[in-house]
Amino acid sequence: MIIQPRSTSSRRSLIALLFAVVSLTLMGCAHQSTALTTTSAPLYERLGGATTIDAVVENFLYRIADDDDMVGFFANTNIDFFAQSLASQLCDVSDGPCRYEGPPMDRAHQNMGLTDVHFNRLVEHLDAAMEEEGIALGNRNELLGRLAPMYADVMRLQ
Amino acid sequence: MKSLLPVFSSSRSLLRPSLCGCLAIGLALTADSSFAGSRILGTGGVSAIEGAAGGGLSPWAVLTSTASEQEVGATASATRAWVDDYRLTVTGASLNVYDRVELSVARQTLDLETLGGELDQDIYGAKVRLWGDVLYHPWGIWSMGVQHKRLVDGATPTALGASDTNGTDVYLSASKLLFSAVAGRNVLLNATFRNTDANQGGLLGFGGDQGNRTWVAEGSVGVFITPQWVVGAEYRQKPDNLSVAKEDDWQSLYSAYFFNKHLSLTGAWLDLGDIAGLPSQRGGYLSLQAAY
Repeated sequence: MIIQPRSTSSRRSLIALLFAVVSLTLMGCAHQSTALTTTSAPLYERLGGATTIDAVVENFLYRIADDDDMVGFFANTNIDFFAQSLASQLCDVSDGPCRYEGPPMDRAHQNMGLTDVHFNRLVEHLDAAMEEEGIALGNRNELLGRLAPMYADVMRLQ
Repeated sequence: MKSLLPVFSSSRSLLRPSLCGCLAIGLALTADSSFAGSRILGTGGVSAIEGAAGGGLSPWAVLTSTASEQEVGATASATRAWVDDYRLTVTGASLNVYDRVELSVARQTLDLETLGGELDQDIYGAKVRLWGDVLYHPWGIWSMGVQHKRLVDGATPTALGASDTNGTDVYLSASKLLFSAVAGRNVLLNATFRNTDANQGGLLGFGGDQGNRTWVAEGSVGVFITPQWVVGAEYRQKPDNLSVAKEDDWQSLYSAYFFNKHLSLTGAWLDLGDIAGLPSQRGGYLSLQAAY
Protein backbone atom coordinates (compact mmCIF):
# COMPACT_ATOMS: atom_id res chain seq x y z
CA MET A 1 0.00 0.00 0.00
CA ILE A 2 1.35 3.41 -0.91
CA ILE A 3 0.43 6.29 1.35
CA GLN A 4 0.57 9.61 -0.44
CA PRO A 5 2.47 12.15 1.66
CA ARG A 6 0.28 15.10 2.48
CA SER A 7 1.33 18.22 0.71
CA THR A 8 2.00 20.55 3.64
CA SER A 9 2.42 23.68 1.57
CA SER A 10 -0.88 23.31 -0.26
CA ARG A 11 -2.64 22.47 3.02
CA ARG A 12 -1.08 25.53 4.60
CA SER A 13 -2.13 27.88 1.86
CA LEU A 14 -5.61 26.36 1.84
CA ILE A 15 -6.03 27.04 5.54
CA ALA A 16 -4.52 30.53 5.24
CA LEU A 17 -7.01 31.19 2.44
CA LEU A 18 -9.83 29.85 4.60
CA PHE A 19 -8.88 32.27 7.38
CA ALA A 20 -8.73 35.18 4.97
CA VAL A 21 -12.14 34.30 3.53
CA VAL A 22 -13.71 33.91 6.97
CA SER A 23 -12.25 37.25 8.13
CA LEU A 24 -13.41 39.08 5.01
CA THR A 25 -16.86 37.49 5.23
CA LEU A 26 -17.16 38.60 8.84
CA MET A 27 -16.16 42.14 7.96
CA GLY A 28 -18.62 42.03 5.09
CA CYS A 29 -21.35 40.71 7.37
CA ALA A 30 -20.63 43.49 9.84
CA HIS A 31 -21.15 46.05 7.08
CA GLN A 32 -24.15 44.34 5.57
CA SER A 33 -25.91 43.76 8.89
CA THR A 34 -25.77 47.47 9.69
CA ALA A 35 -27.00 48.24 6.17
CA LEU A 36 -29.80 45.67 6.37
CA THR A 37 -30.99 46.51 9.85
CA THR A 38 -31.12 50.23 9.13
CA THR A 39 -33.49 49.53 6.25
CA SER A 40 -35.72 47.14 8.26
CA ALA A 41 -35.85 48.51 11.81
CA PRO A 42 -33.57 51.35 12.89
CA LEU A 43 -31.40 50.67 15.93
CA TYR A 44 -33.32 53.45 17.72
CA GLU A 45 -36.53 51.42 17.55
CA ARG A 46 -34.81 48.17 18.50
CA LEU A 47 -33.36 49.93 21.56
CA GLY A 48 -36.92 50.81 22.59
CA GLY A 49 -37.14 54.41 21.41
CA ALA A 50 -37.19 57.54 23.58
CA THR A 51 -38.67 55.82 26.67
CA THR A 52 -35.89 53.25 26.95
CA ILE A 53 -33.13 55.69 26.02
CA ASP A 54 -34.27 58.10 28.75
CA ALA A 55 -34.35 55.21 31.23
CA VAL A 56 -30.84 54.15 30.19
CA VAL A 57 -29.52 57.70 30.61
CA GLU A 58 -31.05 57.96 34.10
CA ASN A 59 -29.75 54.53 35.09
CA PHE A 60 -26.29 55.47 33.73
CA LEU A 61 -26.23 58.74 35.70
CA TYR A 62 -27.09 56.95 38.95
CA ARG A 63 -24.15 54.62 38.30
CA ILE A 64 -21.85 57.61 37.69
CA ALA A 65 -23.13 59.28 40.87
CA ASP A 66 -22.24 56.13 42.85
CA ASP A 67 -18.75 55.94 41.35
CA ASP A 68 -16.24 57.99 43.34
CA ASP A 69 -13.73 57.96 40.49
CA MET A 70 -16.23 59.40 38.03
CA VAL A 71 -18.63 61.66 39.88
CA GLY A 72 -16.02 64.40 40.27
CA PHE A 73 -16.06 65.10 36.53
CA PHE A 74 -19.71 66.10 36.82
CA ALA A 75 -19.25 68.46 39.79
CA ASN A 76 -19.92 71.57 37.71
CA THR A 77 -22.34 69.97 35.27
CA ASN A 78 -25.99 70.86 34.88
CA ILE A 79 -27.21 67.27 35.15
CA ASP A 80 -30.62 67.88 33.55
CA PHE A 81 -28.99 69.51 30.55
CA PHE A 82 -26.39 66.74 30.37
CA ALA A 83 -29.05 64.01 30.52
CA GLN A 84 -31.02 65.66 27.73
CA SER A 85 -27.90 66.12 25.65
CA LEU A 86 -26.76 62.50 26.10
CA ALA A 87 -30.24 61.18 25.28
CA SER A 88 -30.34 63.22 22.07
CA GLN A 89 -26.88 61.95 21.14
CA LEU A 90 -27.84 58.30 21.70
CA CYS A 91 -31.02 58.93 19.68
CA ASP A 92 -29.03 60.56 16.86
CA VAL A 93 -26.34 57.85 16.81
CA SER A 94 -29.00 55.10 16.68
CA ASP A 95 -30.74 56.72 13.67
CA GLY A 96 -33.62 58.08 15.73
CA PRO A 97 -35.59 61.25 14.97
CA CYS A 98 -33.18 63.58 16.79
CA ARG A 99 -30.16 65.68 15.99
CA TYR A 100 -27.42 66.04 18.57
CA GLU A 101 -26.74 69.77 18.78
CA GLY A 102 -24.40 69.82 21.76
CA PRO A 103 -20.69 70.65 21.53
CA PRO A 104 -18.40 68.33 19.55
CA MET A 105 -16.89 65.50 21.59
CA ASP A 106 -13.34 66.92 21.67
CA ARG A 107 -14.44 70.35 22.97
CA ALA A 108 -16.97 68.82 25.39
CA HIS A 109 -14.18 66.88 27.13
CA GLN A 110 -11.36 69.40 26.70
CA ASN A 111 -8.68 69.40 29.45
CA MET A 112 -10.70 67.19 31.79
CA GLY A 113 -7.68 64.97 32.40
CA LEU A 114 -9.51 61.87 31.19
CA THR A 115 -7.59 58.61 30.82
CA ASP A 116 -8.46 55.20 29.39
CA VAL A 117 -9.45 54.24 32.94
CA HIS A 118 -12.32 56.77 32.86
CA PHE A 119 -13.33 55.92 29.30
CA ASN A 120 -13.48 52.19 30.07
CA ARG A 121 -15.47 52.81 33.24
CA LEU A 122 -17.97 54.89 31.32
CA VAL A 123 -18.39 52.08 28.76
CA GLU A 124 -18.99 49.58 31.57
CA HIS A 125 -21.59 51.82 33.24
CA LEU A 126 -23.40 52.46 29.95
CA ASP A 127 -23.50 48.77 29.03
CA ALA A 128 -24.68 47.79 32.52
CA ALA A 129 -27.40 50.47 32.32
CA MET A 130 -28.53 49.18 28.91
CA GLU A 131 -28.59 45.59 30.21
CA GLU A 132 -30.62 46.56 33.27
CA GLU A 133 -33.12 48.43 31.09
CA GLY A 134 -33.67 45.24 29.10
CA ILE A 135 -31.85 46.01 25.85
CA ALA A 136 -30.83 42.83 24.00
CA LEU A 137 -27.12 42.01 23.71
CA GLY A 138 -27.04 42.41 19.92
CA ASN A 139 -28.47 45.91 20.13
CA ARG A 140 -26.15 46.84 23.02
CA ASN A 141 -23.17 45.70 20.96
CA GLU A 142 -24.35 47.65 17.95
CA LEU A 143 -24.77 50.89 19.89
CA LEU A 144 -21.38 50.43 21.62
CA GLY A 145 -19.86 49.80 18.20
CA ARG A 146 -21.23 53.12 16.97
CA LEU A 147 -19.98 54.97 20.06
CA ALA A 148 -16.51 53.37 20.14
CA PRO A 149 -15.00 55.56 17.37
CA MET A 150 -15.78 58.63 19.54
CA TYR A 151 -12.81 57.59 21.69
CA ALA A 152 -10.41 59.46 19.41
CA ASP A 153 -12.42 62.71 19.65
CA VAL A 154 -12.98 62.47 23.41
CA MET A 155 -9.24 61.94 24.03
CA ARG A 156 -7.93 64.45 21.48
CA LEU A 157 -7.73 67.48 23.79
CA GLN A 158 -6.79 65.80 27.09
CA MET B 1 -5.44 20.25 63.77
CA LYS B 2 -2.87 17.77 65.09
CA SER B 3 -4.32 14.97 63.05
CA LEU B 4 -4.17 17.11 59.93
CA LEU B 5 -0.50 17.92 60.22
CA PRO B 6 0.92 14.47 59.36
CA VAL B 7 -1.29 14.39 56.28
CA PHE B 8 0.13 17.73 55.31
CA SER B 9 3.74 16.70 55.64
CA SER B 10 3.39 13.24 54.14
CA SER B 11 1.83 14.40 50.88
CA ARG B 12 3.05 17.97 50.98
CA SER B 13 4.07 17.97 47.32
CA LEU B 14 0.51 17.12 46.28
CA LEU B 15 -1.49 19.12 48.81
CA ARG B 16 0.40 22.40 48.63
CA PRO B 17 -0.20 23.22 44.97
CA SER B 18 -3.83 22.10 45.05
CA LEU B 19 -4.46 24.10 48.23
CA CYS B 20 -2.81 27.17 46.72
CA GLY B 21 -4.82 26.62 43.57
CA CYS B 22 -8.13 26.34 45.44
CA LEU B 23 -7.26 29.41 47.48
CA ALA B 24 -6.40 31.39 44.34
CA ILE B 25 -9.63 30.31 42.62
CA GLY B 26 -11.67 31.13 45.74
CA LEU B 27 -10.07 34.55 45.97
CA ALA B 28 -10.50 35.15 42.25
CA LEU B 29 -14.20 34.28 42.31
CA THR B 30 -15.00 36.46 45.29
CA ALA B 31 -12.55 39.31 44.71
CA ASP B 32 -13.96 42.81 44.59
CA SER B 33 -13.80 44.21 41.08
CA SER B 34 -12.08 47.33 42.45
CA PHE B 35 -8.88 45.25 42.53
CA ALA B 36 -9.25 44.58 38.82
CA GLY B 37 -7.93 46.67 35.97
CA SER B 38 -10.34 49.00 34.23
CA ARG B 39 -10.21 47.44 30.77
CA ILE B 40 -13.36 45.66 29.60
CA LEU B 41 -13.82 41.97 30.52
CA GLY B 42 -12.08 39.63 28.07
CA THR B 43 -9.85 42.27 26.47
CA GLY B 44 -6.75 40.69 28.02
CA GLY B 45 -7.34 37.37 26.29
CA VAL B 46 -6.14 34.30 28.18
CA SER B 47 -2.65 32.83 28.71
CA ALA B 48 -1.18 31.26 25.59
CA ILE B 49 1.11 28.24 26.01
CA GLU B 50 4.21 30.42 25.72
CA GLY B 51 3.10 32.70 28.57
CA ALA B 52 2.02 35.79 26.63
CA ALA B 53 -1.57 37.05 26.57
CA GLY B 54 -3.34 35.47 23.63
CA GLY B 55 -5.48 32.54 22.72
CA GLY B 56 -4.16 29.09 23.48
CA LEU B 57 -1.64 28.52 20.70
CA SER B 58 -0.78 32.03 19.57
CA PRO B 59 0.01 35.36 21.24
CA TRP B 60 -2.41 38.23 20.56
CA ALA B 61 -1.68 41.94 20.43
CA VAL B 62 -3.66 42.62 23.62
CA LEU B 63 -1.69 42.85 26.87
CA THR B 64 -2.35 40.54 29.79
CA SER B 65 -4.93 41.17 32.58
CA THR B 66 -7.27 44.17 32.44
CA ALA B 67 -4.75 46.82 33.50
CA SER B 68 -5.14 50.11 31.67
CA GLU B 69 -2.88 53.15 31.60
CA GLN B 70 -1.68 54.05 35.13
CA GLU B 71 -2.55 50.52 36.28
CA VAL B 72 -0.49 47.38 36.86
CA GLY B 73 -1.92 43.89 36.44
CA ALA B 74 -0.64 40.36 36.94
CA THR B 75 -1.80 36.88 36.02
CA ALA B 76 -0.93 33.31 36.92
CA SER B 77 -1.96 30.38 34.79
CA ALA B 78 -1.93 26.60 34.70
CA THR B 79 -2.45 24.74 31.45
CA ARG B 80 -2.52 21.13 30.38
CA ALA B 81 -2.88 19.62 26.92
CA TRP B 82 -3.40 15.95 26.22
CA VAL B 83 -2.75 14.59 22.72
CA ASP B 84 -2.36 10.98 21.58
CA ASP B 85 1.27 10.41 22.55
CA TYR B 86 2.22 13.50 24.58
CA ARG B 87 1.11 15.57 27.55
CA LEU B 88 2.07 19.24 27.85
CA THR B 89 1.95 21.11 31.15
CA VAL B 90 2.52 24.85 31.31
CA THR B 91 2.69 27.10 34.33
CA GLY B 92 3.03 30.77 33.64
CA ALA B 93 2.91 34.25 35.08
CA SER B 94 2.69 37.63 33.44
CA LEU B 95 2.78 41.30 34.34
CA ASN B 96 1.17 44.25 32.61
CA VAL B 97 2.66 47.68 33.28
CA TYR B 98 0.42 50.59 32.26
CA ASP B 99 -1.05 48.60 29.35
CA ARG B 100 2.19 49.39 27.54
CA VAL B 101 4.59 46.59 28.43
CA GLU B 102 3.87 42.95 29.17
CA LEU B 103 6.46 40.65 30.78
CA SER B 104 5.88 36.92 31.02
CA VAL B 105 7.53 33.70 32.14
CA ALA B 106 6.42 30.16 31.39
CA ARG B 107 7.69 26.69 32.16
CA GLN B 108 6.67 24.03 29.68
CA THR B 109 6.95 20.31 30.41
CA LEU B 110 6.28 17.87 27.60
CA ASP B 111 5.81 14.30 28.80
CA LEU B 112 6.75 11.87 26.06
CA GLU B 113 4.23 9.25 27.09
CA THR B 114 4.92 6.84 24.22
CA LEU B 115 8.64 7.54 23.64
CA GLY B 116 9.48 7.93 27.34
CA GLY B 117 11.08 10.84 29.18
CA GLU B 118 10.21 14.52 29.23
CA LEU B 119 11.35 17.80 27.70
CA ASP B 120 11.37 21.04 29.70
CA GLN B 121 11.62 24.56 28.41
CA ASP B 122 11.62 28.02 30.02
CA ILE B 123 10.23 30.95 28.08
CA TYR B 124 10.87 34.60 28.96
CA GLY B 125 8.62 36.96 27.05
CA ALA B 126 8.18 40.69 26.57
CA LYS B 127 5.52 42.45 24.54
CA VAL B 128 5.14 46.16 23.83
CA ARG B 129 1.93 47.79 22.69
CA LEU B 130 2.98 49.94 19.74
CA TRP B 131 -0.31 51.76 19.34
CA GLY B 132 -4.06 51.42 19.19
CA ASP B 133 -6.78 49.73 21.17
CA VAL B 134 -8.62 46.49 20.51
CA LEU B 135 -12.04 48.14 21.03
CA TYR B 136 -11.76 51.84 20.26
CA HIS B 137 -9.25 52.22 17.44
CA PRO B 138 -10.49 51.58 13.88
CA TRP B 139 -7.28 49.64 13.11
CA GLY B 140 -7.25 47.78 16.42
CA ILE B 141 -4.22 47.24 18.64
CA TRP B 142 -0.70 46.53 17.34
CA SER B 143 2.05 45.02 19.45
CA MET B 144 5.55 43.64 19.05
CA GLY B 145 6.97 40.89 21.19
CA VAL B 146 9.97 38.66 21.84
CA GLN B 147 10.09 35.21 23.42
CA HIS B 148 13.43 33.87 24.58
CA LYS B 149 13.27 30.11 24.95
CA ARG B 150 15.75 27.87 26.75
CA LEU B 151 15.60 24.09 26.84
CA VAL B 152 16.51 22.69 30.23
CA ASP B 153 18.12 19.57 28.73
CA GLY B 154 18.79 19.74 25.00
CA ALA B 155 20.14 16.19 24.52
CA THR B 156 17.10 14.73 22.74
CA PRO B 157 16.48 17.73 20.42
CA THR B 158 20.20 17.81 19.54
CA ALA B 159 20.12 14.08 18.77
CA LEU B 160 17.19 14.73 16.43
CA GLY B 161 19.32 17.25 14.54
CA ALA B 162 18.41 20.59 16.14
CA SER B 163 21.27 23.06 15.81
CA ASP B 164 20.59 24.95 19.06
CA THR B 165 19.05 24.46 22.50
CA ASN B 166 17.90 28.01 22.92
CA GLY B 167 16.39 30.56 20.60
CA THR B 168 14.43 33.77 20.36
CA ASP B 169 11.17 34.41 18.54
CA VAL B 170 10.17 37.91 17.44
CA TYR B 171 6.59 38.69 16.49
CA LEU B 172 4.28 41.44 15.32
CA SER B 173 0.64 41.06 16.26
CA ALA B 174 -2.61 42.89 15.55
CA SER B 175 -6.00 42.37 17.21
CA LYS B 176 -9.36 43.99 16.54
CA LEU B 177 -12.85 43.54 17.94
CA LEU B 178 -15.65 43.98 15.41
CA PHE B 179 -18.77 45.11 17.24
CA SER B 180 -22.02 43.33 16.43
CA ALA B 181 -20.42 41.50 13.50
CA VAL B 182 -22.30 38.18 13.45
CA ALA B 183 -25.90 37.94 14.69
CA GLY B 184 -25.31 40.95 16.91
CA ARG B 185 -22.29 39.30 18.52
CA ASN B 186 -18.84 40.89 18.75
CA VAL B 187 -16.07 39.13 16.85
CA LEU B 188 -12.39 39.19 17.77
CA LEU B 189 -9.83 38.91 14.97
CA ASN B 190 -6.14 38.39 15.51
CA ALA B 191 -3.14 38.02 13.23
CA THR B 192 0.44 37.37 14.32
CA PHE B 193 3.60 37.21 12.20
CA ARG B 194 6.46 35.47 13.90
CA ASN B 195 10.12 35.11 13.00
CA THR B 196 11.30 31.87 14.56
CA ASP B 197 13.64 28.90 14.32
CA ALA B 198 11.85 26.96 17.09
CA ASN B 199 10.94 23.34 16.33
CA GLN B 200 7.57 22.42 17.89
CA GLY B 201 7.62 25.76 19.67
CA GLY B 202 11.17 25.11 20.89
CA LEU B 203 10.56 21.80 22.68
CA LEU B 204 12.47 20.05 19.86
CA GLY B 205 15.22 22.67 19.81
CA PHE B 206 15.99 25.41 17.32
CA GLY B 207 17.00 25.17 13.67
CA GLY B 208 18.00 21.96 11.91
CA ASP B 209 19.23 20.30 8.76
CA GLN B 210 16.28 21.57 6.68
CA GLY B 211 16.41 25.24 7.61
CA ASN B 212 16.69 27.90 10.25
CA ARG B 213 14.85 31.16 10.87
CA THR B 214 11.67 31.72 8.94
CA TRP B 215 8.52 33.86 9.04
CA VAL B 216 5.30 32.12 10.00
CA ALA B 217 1.72 33.38 10.22
CA GLU B 218 -0.75 32.75 13.02
CA GLY B 219 -4.38 33.76 13.18
CA SER B 220 -7.52 33.40 15.22
CA VAL B 221 -11.19 34.24 15.10
CA GLY B 222 -13.45 34.34 18.15
CA VAL B 223 -17.13 35.11 18.60
CA PHE B 224 -18.28 36.53 21.93
CA ILE B 225 -21.52 34.55 22.40
CA THR B 226 -21.98 36.63 25.56
CA PRO B 227 -19.63 39.28 27.02
CA GLN B 228 -18.24 36.47 29.23
CA TRP B 229 -17.96 33.64 26.73
CA VAL B 230 -15.90 33.52 23.53
CA VAL B 231 -15.76 30.60 21.10
CA GLY B 232 -13.41 30.38 18.16
CA ALA B 233 -10.57 28.82 16.21
CA GLU B 234 -6.83 29.32 16.04
CA TYR B 235 -4.25 28.45 13.44
CA ARG B 236 -0.48 28.54 13.82
CA GLN B 237 1.94 27.96 10.99
CA LYS B 238 5.19 26.25 11.96
CA PRO B 239 8.66 25.81 10.53
CA ASP B 240 9.76 22.35 9.40
CA ASN B 241 13.49 22.25 10.13
CA LEU B 242 14.14 18.62 11.09
CA SER B 243 14.20 15.95 8.38
CA VAL B 244 13.78 13.12 10.91
CA ALA B 245 10.77 14.72 12.60
CA LYS B 246 8.28 16.26 10.18
CA GLU B 247 6.46 19.21 11.71
CA ASP B 248 2.89 20.30 10.96
CA ASP B 249 0.93 23.48 11.58
CA TRP B 250 -1.15 23.63 14.76
CA GLN B 251 -4.86 24.32 14.94
CA SER B 252 -7.49 24.48 17.62
CA LEU B 253 -11.14 25.09 18.33
CA TYR B 254 -11.47 26.91 21.65
CA SER B 255 -13.99 28.12 24.18
CA ALA B 256 -13.01 30.57 26.90
CA TYR B 257 -15.23 31.62 29.77
CA PHE B 258 -14.49 34.70 31.88
CA PHE B 259 -16.15 34.22 35.30
CA ASN B 260 -15.11 37.81 36.08
CA LYS B 261 -12.01 39.96 35.57
CA HIS B 262 -10.08 37.62 37.89
CA LEU B 263 -10.74 34.15 36.58
CA SER B 264 -11.04 32.49 33.20
CA LEU B 265 -11.23 28.89 32.06
CA THR B 266 -10.30 27.88 28.52
CA GLY B 267 -11.01 24.54 26.88
CA ALA B 268 -9.93 23.55 23.41
CA TRP B 269 -9.73 20.76 20.93
CA LEU B 270 -6.26 20.52 19.38
CA ASP B 271 -4.91 19.15 16.12
CA LEU B 272 -1.14 19.45 16.31
CA GLY B 273 -0.25 17.14 13.39
CA ASP B 274 2.92 15.05 13.49
CA ILE B 275 5.25 15.52 16.48
CA ALA B 276 8.71 13.92 16.69
CA GLY B 277 7.83 11.12 14.30
CA LEU B 278 4.47 10.23 15.85
CA PRO B 279 1.64 11.04 13.46
CA SER B 280 -1.52 13.07 13.80
CA GLN B 281 -1.51 14.27 17.42
CA ARG B 282 -5.00 15.31 18.51
CA GLY B 283 -6.53 15.92 21.89
CA GLY B 284 -7.87 18.28 24.52
CA TYR B 285 -6.65 21.38 26.31
CA LEU B 286 -7.61 23.06 29.57
CA SER B 287 -6.24 26.30 30.96
CA LEU B 288 -7.08 28.25 34.07
CA GLN B 289 -5.98 31.85 34.56
CA ALA B 290 -6.18 34.02 37.65
CA ALA B 291 -5.70 37.76 37.14
CA TYR B 292 -5.27 40.77 39.43
